[in-house]
Amino acid sequence: MIFLADSPSWMITPVILPLIAGLLCFLFSRRTFVIALITALINLFVACLLIYQLLVFGTIRYYIGGWRPPIGISLRTDGPALLMLLMTAVTGLAITLYARGYFSYRIADPVRGSRHQHQQRYFWPLWMLLLAGLNGLFLSGDIFNLYVTLELIGISAASLAALSGKPASQRASFRYLLISLLGSLTYLLGIVFFYRTCGVLDLGVLQNTAINEPGIRAALALLTVGLLLKTALVPLHFWLPPAHANALAPVSVILSALVVKGSFYLLFRFWFELFAPIVTTSALNFMGTLGAIAILWGGIQAIRQQRLKLMVAYSTVSQLGYLFIAFPLSRTLTGVPVWSAVIFIALTHACAKSAMFMAAGNVYLHLGHDRIRNLDGVRASLPITVFAYGIAGVSLMGLPPSGAFIAKWMLLTSSIDSSQWWWALVIMAGSLLAMVYVFRVMSHFFVIPKRESLKETTPLSPLLEWPALILALIALFLSLLAPWLLHILSQGSTGLAQLFPGGLP
Amino acid sequence: MKKGKKIKKQTRNRRRPFDGLQALFLFLVFCLITLLGAILSNSPRTVSGLAGAVASLQDQSGVESPVTAVLLNFRGYDTLLEVMVLLLAVIGVWSLAKAPFPTPETDISPVQMGVVRLLAPVMCLVAAYLVWQGSHLAGGAFQGGAILGAAGVLLLVSELPWLHAIPVYVLRIGLVLGPLVFVGTALSCLFLTGTLLAYPKGTAGWLILLIETACALSIGLTLALLFGGGRPESDVPGGDSP
Repeated sequence: MIFLADSPSWMITPVILPLIAGLLCFLFSRRTFVIALITALINLFVACLLIYQLLVFGTIRYYIGGWRPPIGISLRTDGPALLMLLMTAVTGLAITLYARGYFSYRIADPVRGSRHQHQQRYFWPLWMLLLAGLNGLFLSGDIFNLYVTLELIGISAASLAALSGKPASQRASFRYLLISLLGSLTYLLGIVFFYRTCGVLDLGVLQNTAINEPGIRAALALLTVGLLLKTALVPLHFWLPPAHANALAPVSVILSALVVKGSFYLLFRFWFELFAPIVTTSALNFMGTLGAIAILWGGIQAIRQQRLKLMVAYSTVSQLGYLFIAFPLSRTLTGVPVWSAVIFIALTHACAKSAMFMAAGNVYLHLGHDRIRNLDGVRASLPITVFAYGIAGVSLMGLPPSGAFIAKWMLLTSSIDSSQWWWALVIMAGSLLAMVYVFRVMSHFFVIPKRESLKETTPLSPLLEWPALILALIALFLSLLAPWLLHILSQGSTGLAQLFPGGLP
Repeated sequence: MKKGKKIKKQTRNRRRPFDGLQALFLFLVFCLITLLGAILSNSPRTVSGLAGAVASLQDQSGVESPVTAVLLNFRGYDTLLEVMVLLLAVIGVWSLAKAPFPTPETDISPVQMGVVRLLAPVMCLVAAYLVWQGSHLAGGAFQGGAILGAAGVLLLVSELPWLHAIPVYVLRIGLVLGPLVFVGTALSCLFLTGTLLAYPKGTAGWLILLIETACALSIGLTLALLFGGGRPESDVPGGDSP
C-alpha cells in the first residue's frame, strides 16, 4: 500500500533515505560509494515520481506522525519545491559519480593516497546528510523545521569545506561555519518574534496571519538577514570565494551549486508567499539594488582573479545577483512570471556551475595547479573537460539555447515593460562581464604551448569528465524543456497564484 | 621618535587597541538590541501559542510530560533531525583531527581516581533515572545524555587506560545507535500505521522510552567524544580500494 505510485508516503523518501545512507556510510568503511550511488539513484527516481504525483493529484501535504498543523509538522509538494528537488537530485547524482572518480584518482596517487582515503571516508556520510538536509528544506512546511534543516545543511557544508585539510581551506571553512551559525541564530531569533506574534509555526496556517505589525516586520528583517548571510548576497558575500575555492573539487561543486540555493529558495518563498502582504516596494528595490551590485562586483572580481577556482567562485557571487534582480520586477502588473524566471536561473546556474567547478577540478588534477596564466594547451589533453567548460560558460552568459537565456529574457522584458530600464542595463552588463571572464580562461585553453612539455600524467577517468559534460549540456538545452517546466511550476503554488491573478504562463 | 613608533607597533601587534570600527560595531549592536527589545515590549502578545493545543492532545501522546510529548510525538521529526545534527558534529570533528595522544606518564592522584570510581556509576544511574522520568516529569534523552556525557568526560580526564583500548567500531556503533533506532522506529511506524512516526495505538509510551534510551546513550557518547577532540588513534582509513 505504501509503495503504490499514488501513495503520499513517497514524500518522506528524499529525507529519510539519505539520512539512513549517511548513517550507514559512517558505520561501514567499505562499499560506501555503492550506498551513496543507490541513494542518489532512488532519490532521482522519487523526485520524478513526486512530479508525476503533482501533475496528477495536485499539491499534496503529508502530516508526519498523523498530527495536523498547528501541532504537528507537515511536508508539502508544489511546483517550485519539486523543481528544486529535481535539480538537487540530478546534480546530486552527477556529483556522486564525479566524487567517486575524483577520489579514485587521488587515492591512486602513491604519495598522498592515504590522506585522500581518509577524506573519502568522511566525504560520503557528510554528503549524504547534506543531501537529506537540502531535500528536507525544499519539502518542509514548518518554519521551525526549516531551521533544523538549515542547521543540518550548515554544519555538514562547513565540515565538507574543511575536508581538504589545507590551512587556507580550514581558515575559510571556520569562517564559513561562524557565518553559517550566525545566520542560523538570526533566523531563530526571527522565529521567536514570529511565534510570539502569531502563535503558530506551520507555513500553511501562517499564510493568512501575516499582518503588518512591528513584531512581524522585525521577524521578516531577522529572517531575511539570516538567510542573506547564508546566500552570500553582496555585501555579505565575503566568506564565499575562499570557502568555495579552497575546498576539494566535489565539495566546491556541492557548495556552489546546491547549498546557496537552499537558503535562497527559502528567502524567496518567505518574501513572496508568507510575507507578501507586508513587503513594500522600497524593500523590493533595496534587494534588487543589492543584487545589481552583486552582479557587477562579482563579475569584476571574477575578471581580476588569477586562479581558476577563485574565478568560478566569484562568478557564483555574480550569478546570485540575478536571483535578486527578480525581486523588484515582481511588482509589475502584467502578471510577470517572476517565480519561473528565478527557478530558471537557479536550475541553469546549478547545472552550469557544477559543470564549471568539475571542469576546474579536472584542470587542477591534470596540471597540479589552477593559475589562469599557465593553463595553455589544456584543450589538447582534456578535450571533453574544455568542451564542458565552454558550454557551461555559454549558459552563464545567458546565450540563447540555455535556460538562463529564457530567465534573462523574462527579466529584461518585464523591466522594460515596467519602465525600470536600469535593471535591464545591469542584466546586460552582467552578461558582458560573464563573457569576459569565461573567454579569458577559454583563450588560454586553446593556446598551443611553445615548448612541447607533454608530461606523462594518468589519464582522467570518464567519471571525472562525463558528469561535467552532461550537466553542461542539460544547462544548455534547458530552454527546450521550458514548456514542461512551466507546466510543473504552475501546479499548485497557491500563494503565487494569488499574487499573479493573471495566472502563471 | 623612531623607538616610540616601534614600541607602538609592538603593542599593536600584541593587543589591538579599541578602535573606531569596534566602537561603531558595538554601538550598532546596542541599537539593534534596544530596537528589538522595544518591539518585544510594545507588541501585544496576541496569541497564547500552542500550549493549549498540546494540553488537549496530551492523553493521546502516550506520555504525561508535555515537553516529551512535543519532542518525541508531535514534533518527533524535528528531534530526529536534531539527533542527526549532533552526530554530524562528531563526524565533522573526526574528519578534521586526531585525538591528542594520551600522555602515558601522567600520574592521576588517588583522590581523583577515588572520586571517579564513586561518581561515574552514580552518574550513569542518574542518567538512566532521568531518561525514565522523561515520560512524566522534566527529563528525557537530552538530559540523560548530558549526564552520561559528563561521566564520559570524567573518565577521559582520568586517563583510564582501557578507554583507549575500545575498538573504533564499537564507538561508531554507539554513535549511530540512537539515530538508527529513531529512524528504524519511524519507519516501522510507517509500515504498521501507514504514516511516518505515527505510533500504533497503545505503544506510544514504550516506543518513546525505547527511542529515548537509545538516543541518550548516543548523545552521551557524542558529547564525551566531542570533548575528546578528534578521531581515535586506531581509526584507520578504510573505503573502497581504487
